[in-house]
Amino acid sequence: MRRALAAEAVAAKAVRKRGGYSWGTYFRRYWTLYLLLLLPIIFFIVFRYTPMAYILMAFKKNNIIKPPWQVAWAKDNGFEWFIKAFRDKQFIRALRNTVTLNLLDLVCGFPAPIIMALLLNELAFKRFKKVTQTILYLPHFLSWIIISGLALRLLADNDGLVNILFKKYSGNPEAVIPFLSKENWWVGSYIAFGIWKEAGWGTIIYLAALTGISPELYEAAAVDGAGRFRRMWHVTLPGLRPTIIVLLIMRLGYILGSEFDRPMAMGNTLVTNVSTVLSVYVYQKGINGGGQFSLTTAVGLFQSVVGVLFLLGANSLAKRFGERGIM
Amino acid sequence: MKRILALILTLALVASLGLVSAFAEDELVDGKFAQTRHISVRLFQRGDNVPEASPFADYIRKGMLEKYNVEVEFAVGGRWDDEKDLANLLGSGQAPDICYTYSYSTILNYADMDGIIDLAPFIEKYKDLLPNLFNLLGEENVYWDQDPDSGKLWALETRLVNNARINTFIRKDWLDKLNMALPTTKAEFEACLVAFRDNAELLLGADAERMVPYSTSYDIGWRNNNLTVSFIPDAISDEELYIHGYDDRQQTQPGAKEAIRLLNKWYNEKLVWQDFALYGSGDTTEDDNLKAGFVGAFQHNWDYPFRNGEDSIDANLKRNVGPEAAFVAVDCFENDAGLHRKYLGSTVDRKVCFPATNDEVLASLLYLDFISSPETILALQTGTEGINHERAENGAYMMKVVDSADPNYQASVNNIDFTMTCNGQYLGEYTDVSLAYGYAPVASELVEGAYAVAMNDGRVPGHFSLPAIEAEVGVGTTLNDERNTFLNKAVTASVEDFDKVYDEGLANYMSIGGADIMNERAQKLQEATGYVHQD
Repeated sequence: MRRALAAEAVAAKAVRKRGGYSWGTYFRRYWTLYLLLLLPIIFFIVFRYTPMAYILMAFKKNNIIKPPWQVAWAKDNGFEWFIKAFRDKQFIRALRNTVTLNLLDLVCGFPAPIIMALLLNELAFKRFKKVTQTILYLPHFLSWIIISGLALRLLADNDGLVNILFKKYSGNPEAVIPFLSKENWWVGSYIAFGIWKEAGWGTIIYLAALTGISPELYEAAAVDGAGRFRRMWHVTLPGLRPTIIVLLIMRLGYILGSEFDRPMAMGNTLVTNVSTVLSVYVYQKGINGGGQFSLTTAVGLFQSVVGVLFLLGANSLAKRFGERGIM
Repeated sequence: MKRILALILTLALVASLGLVSAFAEDELVDGKFAQTRHISVRLFQRGDNVPEASPFADYIRKGMLEKYNVEVEFAVGGRWDDEKDLANLLGSGQAPDICYTYSYSTILNYADMDGIIDLAPFIEKYKDLLPNLFNLLGEENVYWDQDPDSGKLWALETRLVNNARINTFIRKDWLDKLNMALPTTKAEFEACLVAFRDNAELLLGADAERMVPYSTSYDIGWRNNNLTVSFIPDAISDEELYIHGYDDRQQTQPGAKEAIRLLNKWYNEKLVWQDFALYGSGDTTEDDNLKAGFVGAFQHNWDYPFRNGEDSIDANLKRNVGPEAAFVAVDCFENDAGLHRKYLGSTVDRKVCFPATNDEVLASLLYLDFISSPETILALQTGTEGINHERAENGAYMMKVVDSADPNYQASVNNIDFTMTCNGQYLGEYTDVSLAYGYAPVASELVEGAYAVAMNDGRVPGHFSLPAIEAEVGVGTTLNDERNTFLNKAVTASVEDFDKVYDEGLANYMSIGGADIMNERAQKLQEATGYVHQD
C-alpha cells in the first residue's frame, strides 16, 4: 500500500515537471508507455470507431449489400426509419418494456450487491466468508440459456418441480403458481433470476472498496459507542458512496440498453408483451429474416444517444451534489 | 480486400468480355463447358450429419462434372435457421450461387436491394437447354412468381410432388384398452380425450400424472390445423383464401376463432398439455412426451410420427411402451358441409434464387436441370440397393433403416434437402407403390392410412399471379410471432376471458401489419380480377 502511494507521488512529480520539458524530451523518455497504449487504441479504431461510419445506414434506404455511402438517402430528409420506428406499436412496446425492466432491475438489483457486500463484510469467520463468496459468484458463470432451462424445469406450471411440490403439499391439485406464464409473475421471476445471477458477482467491486476504508474510523466510532449497525451506517456506507455513485451513473447510462440473451432465453410466447425489449425487437426486425437493417440501425442509434444523454445527465447531477462523478 | 478483389475481377471480366464475346455465346461445346466452371450450392443440414460428405453429394458432384464440366461445392446451412441464415448470407455477400428457401419475402427483400438476379432473361435465353427443369416444374411453377407488371422473376418455385399437409393422430392401443372405436366426429374425438384424462391410472399406471390427453405446441395454428379448418365455411372462395393467405395457418379466416374457443375449452378442462406455451421452437420436451407414450392425441405434419427412422416417434413408442403402441391417423374434423376438409399445399414448395454475386448463371441453371432429371431424383431418393432400399416384387422401393452416423443416411424424408427442385417421393411409375415403404422401420399400413386421411377432402387453394405485396417485405418473423403469442394467450385464458383476450390479440395482430397485408392483397386482386373483398 505504502509503496503504491510512493509510486503515485513520483508519477505526480513527473507530470508536474512535464511543463518544463519539451514534448520531444517527454516522448523520448516515456515512449514505451505509449507503445503499450498503441494496441488498445488500434483495437478501438478498428472495432469501435470504424464501424461507426455505418451509422449512416440509419439515414439511408434499406440496403445491406452496398456500403451506405453508395445508397440513396431515405425519405423524410433521411429520418424515414426514425419516424417509422416511432409509429410502430411493436417498437413502442419494446421501448416501454426495456425501460420498465431496466428500472425494476435498477431498483431491485442495484442495492442487492451493496447489501450483500455489507453482510459479507460483517462475517467474522474468514473461511466461511470465502466459501459464501465463492458460492455467490457461481451463478455469474452460467449462461442465460442454462438458467432459462433451469427456470423451466423448476417453475413450469405443470411439470415444474416447485409447482409439483406446491400442488402436493397445498392439498389443492388445481393450485399452480404461474411463475413463467402470467405476465406479472414472469417479470418477478425475470428480476429475481437476474439478482440471483449477478448480485454475488457485483459484490466484488464493493468488497474491494471496503478494504480502502481506514480501520481507524471503525475504532473511533466504536470508542464513541457506535454499535455494529451504526458503524455500518455511518462508516461503511459513506466509505462506499463514491463507488456506488460511479456504478449508478454507469447503470443509468444503460437505461435504454438491453441484454439480448436474458429476455430472449427467459421469454416465452405467453409473455412476449412484457418480454420483448429493444434488442429482441432489433433481432426480429433485422437479423431474424426481417432484413430491416436501416430501421434497426436507427433504433440502435436512438438507444445510444439516449444512453449518452442519461450518462451525462446523471454525471452532472452527481457533481452538483458534490460527488466526483466519472468525468 | 474482398471488395477490391471483386472490383478488379469485374474490371478484368469487362475488359476481356470484348475479346471473348465471340466465344461466350457458345460456351457449351457439345453441351459441355470447354473450361471447368465452379459453382456453390446451398444444402440444408439437419442434426449432426455431414450431408456434403455423403454418397448423394458425390453423385451430384460427379454427375455435374461429367455432364457439364462444372465443379459443384456445397455450402451447408441449418434447415431450421433457413430464413435468417440465408438473409445473413445474402447481406454479407457470401450466399452460394444457388440458394433455396421457404421464405419468398426474404428473396423479395434482397431483390429490392439489387441482391438477387432477375432470372427472366436467362430463362428465355437458355430455355432449350433446360428440358428437365421445365418438365418437372412446368411453366406454371417456373413463372409463378413473375411480376405481371415488370416481368421480373426473382425465384423459381420448385415442385411439391406430395402436397399432403396435416393429420390428426391418436393412440389406437389406448382406444383398444378403453374399448373405444376410432373417432369419426369432433364430438367423438373430444370423448376420447375425456376418456384418456379420466383413465390416466389405467393407461399410464405410476406415470398417471404425466398424462397428456391432447398435445400441442406454441405454434397453435399449425398444430391444430385440422381443427381450425373444420370451422372455416366450406363455401369460402379462392379469392378470400388468397386475401387471407399470408397467414399459412389460416388464423385470420372466418370461423378460426371458434376453433380456438374449442381448444380453450379443452385446455381449461385439462385435456390439453398445460405447459405447451412455455417451450419454444426446437425444444424437444413435447417430442419426448410423445416418444415416452404419455400423449393420447396430437395434430402435426401428415407423416410426423414416422420421420427419422429408428428415432421416429413410432419406433420409440414401440420400444418404450410395447409393439401394440401406435399413433394412427384419424379423420374426425367435419366442417359445415360435412366434409373433412384439409387445405393442401399447392404445386409450389421451396423457392430457388441466384444472388447477384452469382457469375455462373448458365452453369447454375444447368445444375437445376441436372437435379430435376428423373434419373437424378431416383438415384438421390432411393440411394444404393441393399443399403438404402430393397425392391419389392411389384417394383416398389422399400426403404431400409440406415444408422444416422452412416454417410448413406438420408436426414430428410425422400432426401429432399438434395433434390432441391422436388419435394416428395418422385419415382416415376413406382411412386405410388413405394410411398408406404418410405419410412422404415414404420409399418407400411400406418403410412398408407395416414396419407389417405391427409388427402381425403383435400382442397388446393387457387393461385393468382399478382405483383409483389409491398406490405409483406421486411415483416420477417414478427407477425408470426405475434400471432403465436395471441393464440397462446387465448388458448390458456379462462373461459370467461376468452373473447376479450382473443379479440384484443387479433386486433393487435391486424394493427401491426396484418391488416395492411390483407388490404394490399385485396386491392391488387381487385385490380387484376375485379373481385371485391367481402369483409
